[in-house]
Amino acid sequence: MGYSSSLIQRKFKDIVGRRYEAVLKDYSEFLLTDEEMLVPEVRSILMPLDIFVHDITDEAIEVLSAYNATISLAYITDAGVIELLEQALNHASTEEFRAKKEEEGRELLERTAAKLKEHGFSTQTRMFVGHKGDDVVRIAKNHDMVALCRRYADGESTDVSVSPIVLRICQRVETPALIY
Amino acid sequence: METVALIAIAVFLFTYALIIDERIHRAVAAMLGAAIVVFIGIVPWEALLQHVDFGTIFLLLGMMIIVNTARGSGLFEYIAIKTAKLANGSPIRVLILFALVTALVSAFLDNVTTVLLLTPMLLYVARVMKLNPIPFLVTEIFASNIGGAATLIGDPPNIMIASSAGLTFNEFLIHLGPIMAIDMAILIGMMYLIYGRSMKVSPDERKEMVRTLNGLDERAAIVDRALFKKSVAVIAFVVVLFFIHDRIGEILHIVLPFVDPTMGLEPAEVALIGAAILLFWSRQSPEEIFEKIEWPALFFFGGLFVIVGALVETGVIASIASVMVENVSSTGEAMFIVTWFAAIASAIVDNIPLTAAMIPLIHDLGTTMDVYPLWWALALGACLGGNGTAIGASANVVVIGIAEREGIGITFIDFLKVGMLVLFVTVAVGFGMLWMMFVV
Repeated sequence: MGYSSSLIQRKFKDIVGRRYEAVLKDYSEFLLTDEEMLVPEVRSILMPLDIFVHDITDEAIEVLSAYNATISLAYITDAGVIELLEQALNHASTEEFRAKKEEEGRELLERTAAKLKEHGFSTQTRMFVGHKGDDVVRIAKNHDMVALCRRYADGESTDVSVSPIVLRICQRVETPALIY
Repeated sequence: METVALIAIAVFLFTYALIIDERIHRAVAAMLGAAIVVFIGIVPWEALLQHVDFGTIFLLLGMMIIVNTARGSGLFEYIAIKTAKLANGSPIRVLILFALVTALVSAFLDNVTTVLLLTPMLLYVARVMKLNPIPFLVTEIFASNIGGAATLIGDPPNIMIASSAGLTFNEFLIHLGPIMAIDMAILIGMMYLIYGRSMKVSPDERKEMVRTLNGLDERAAIVDRALFKKSVAVIAFVVVLFFIHDRIGEILHIVLPFVDPTMGLEPAEVALIGAAILLFWSRQSPEEIFEKIEWPALFFFGGLFVIVGALVETGVIASIASVMVENVSSTGEAMFIVTWFAAIASAIVDNIPLTAAMIPLIHDLGTTMDVYPLWWALALGACLGGNGTAIGASANVVVIGIAEREGIGITFIDFLKVGMLVLFVTVAVGFGMLWMMFVV
């Protein structure tokens, strides 16, 4: 540190005292830090769907539109339910149930993809039978973000709480997660 | 020359050297110098009370109470965010708006607080724009010094001059206000010419900046809405009172006939009245507010007044004045010398001790010439001279100090190159206008 620099720091200390630290503390309440200011690079977003996800909120679409990313819509039918049905009913009834669920899933995927396309997103769709928690965590490794509806894998309850499966996914995924 | 006079000069120069170097706190240096001249009897108790300018000290004290109380409301952060958002993503607009806001706030509140509170926001905006913050920071420094020079309460040299010469708030506004308005326009033009090319941003960057800044909520900066409103109201009231402080009796007499119509209020009284009202109305803890008063600054002023008082008591100031009178033939010539001496000296050393020493000198010149124009010459030189170097004024030190802490180096030489240019242009324009007012 040169003489002029140390002189300015001495004078600064004498003139300002500890006031600068207090000012910085006040500003830190509402200014973004350098880290927060960096918009993470997000190229692909995984969006799991199931029968409990009826729609994507406008707020979620607004946030997602900040990233120029492809959205992978994944409709997952619970493998546990299929297994239980196979044990309780005959194979034909299970297949009938499965076909019905797949039909519902296809409709939801098409409807959601169309809505996202309207907002300028490029989308990919897939549908499979699997575990709604474990499989999302597994697939999320290949994506930069996961967008989860708080009703995903929940039930038809009307309260505003977040589904336990969604909370578990958030605890386990390494990518950023958005709950809408 | 008598021994006591030599001692007074030695103490003054020694203290000055300590203030320049700042290895010892300036307040301690001033108090030490004052202690020496009091201890050896150069300034006896009765004279000490005369030399300490309580008008200056109480004005500073009152304004410090008002500013420190208002600060707790988030008022300054609100102003900073609002200014940043108004710029609408244009770097040039950021430069101009921050310069104007800094100048305006500095004209009514102290420069150090102004830049201390605006600089972090300016750095943030520059970071969002991904632009070099130095042009914005140096412009803020110059704007603060120019804005502060416009009013009686804007800069300590003006406060000292007004208190000693009995000048009013409106006199400052009439004589220095137009000069500083023109100097501000010139400054913005100069900064545009010097830095304009480096302030280009792409449309995408501009969009990103607008998005980030619009994400800031200026209302969130207001931590105490009631205090915010009360602070704004009291500051507005104090400013109005400054405008009418010399004829307050006339106005009060209309509604309160027992008030003497010839009564006027000193600026210090206005500041203390405002401080009392704000403390009473806001119900803020006086202990907390009084703790925030910059006592070292007040003791620094007190010590300086005593040290300069020693030069007066020993006849040093009178001797310098007589030499000046012998060699200066007209008020215009004296104005030229005072303006440029104060400007150049203020760039090199602190303008507060310089002004403290110049005030009694100008009083002594009053026996042989009209010194009224010289007060404006001194105010002009002492305030704008601070723009010359990195250590010329407190605002410079604060902004450059903050920049260094944030990893942005503004070297002494880099600042000097722009600072001296601004100094010479703004002082020359100001001097020209004073010349037209008093000489032509």
